[in-house]
Amino acid sequence: MKQKHILTYFISSITLLLLFCVSANAQNDSITNTAKDSIKIKEKYGVRVGGDIGKLVRSFLDDDYTGFEVSADYRLKKRLYIAGELGFDEKITNSDYLNVTSSGSYLKAGIDYNLYQNWLDMDNMIYSGFRIGASTFSQKLNSYTIYNTDPYWSPQFSSTDLKEFSGLTAIWVELIIGIKAELFTNLYLGLNAQLKVLASETEPDNFENLYIPGFNKTFDSTRIGVGYGYTLSYRIPLYKKDK
Amino acid sequence: MKKTSLLLILIIITGVVINISCESDDICPESTATTPSLIIDAYDVSNPENKKSVTKLLVGGIDNISVLPGYNIAAATQIVLPLRTDSNTTQYVLIKDTSINNNGTPDDLSDDFYDGNPDIITISYSREDVYVSRACGYKTIFKNVTLTIEPDSDNWIKSRQPLNDNQSVEDETETHFNIFH
Repeated sequence: MKQKHILTYFISSITLLLLFCVSANAQNDSITNTAKDSIKIKEKYGVRVGGDIGKLVRSFLDDDYTGFEVSADYRLKKRLYIAGELGFDEKITNSDYLNVTSSGSYLKAGIDYNLYQNWLDMDNMIYSGFRIGASTFSQKLNSYTIYNTDPYWSPQFSSTDLKEFSGLTAIWVELIIGIKAELFTNLYLGLNAQLKVLASETEPDNFENLYIPGFNKTFDSTRIGVGYGYTLSYRIPLYKKDK
Repeated sequence: MKKTSLLLILIIITGVVINISCESDDICPESTATTPSLIIDAYDVSNPENKKSVTKLLVGGIDNISVLPGYNIAAATQIVLPLRTDSNTTQYVLIKDTSINNNGTPDDLSDDFYDGNPDIITISYSREDVYVSRACGYKTIFKNVTLTIEPDSDNWIKSRQPLNDNQSVEDETETHFNIFH
């Protein structure tokens, strides 16, 4: 009696185990099957180099401005890029009382973080990042006219002696936000906006920095600057990684 | 989360850009101190503690065809004279008790001249151009300012006194010279 009971226990438990195994196997099968159904998506990693077409167009249209910028980024991780820009600006600031030519070059380096979740094998960016920028530049005070609220003795004294303030430097940090869209394979069009905060600058004697290459126009009351860019860039693919 | 942070950054940037572009950075505010004028107070020569008004005063710059606005036959205890920024001297003629002499032809204004007691003053100085701001550019300040009364047979300005040694004209907050008449 007892032995029969034990036997039935054994048989039932083995059957149960077997059932479980089968069911477990069956589930595993279904997973592998679905995985085999979908296409493996690979993401491209590489160096993207480009230029600022906005500055190029402005150089042609604006008599008071000449400048160009080359940019590059390198994809470190799925969403993280290291990025940098190297540029040159020459800007004439002209008013009733001042005529100043600011010119020089700048270097910016930082990171971009892609906030956009791409579909399938698309590779676009809506990104945000930061840069640290540095510029060496000079300012030429071409002419100035004395400001006087009393017009009785007109015209006021005008100086046309060129005064040059050279060897000026400035350092700033900037927050960048923008998009990069893949127009054709590996060719990207991007636009971005930059918000800058000036960290330090060399103040010229008896003058001020009206325009800092890379930082753009300075403002009397704040250390904040703004900028924008239209870039066209090409990605040189180096390797691929699974998405 | 990502969308909200993106939106937040976008709002901050637009906000700052609007804020900056609305700033009138290119107009020189009236409150900013720019090129100062010379300020002269008129005192009584017989009672040097008291200010005394110059009656019927007319002020004109030498080499300047127009009368200095505000001093066209008016009483004044304080005279504010703009200085030339393109020269190291400025000359003014100060006419006391001015009246217009119509030269016998009341209808013809072209031959009118001023009657009164004219005194010529010469203000000499050295100039220095000081940077103010992007909108205001440079102002001139005047150093080592001297005021000379050109002697004539009947000077109504008896004497003058700078308020400081090596008088400079750097702002318009205080008087620079006193004259006694």
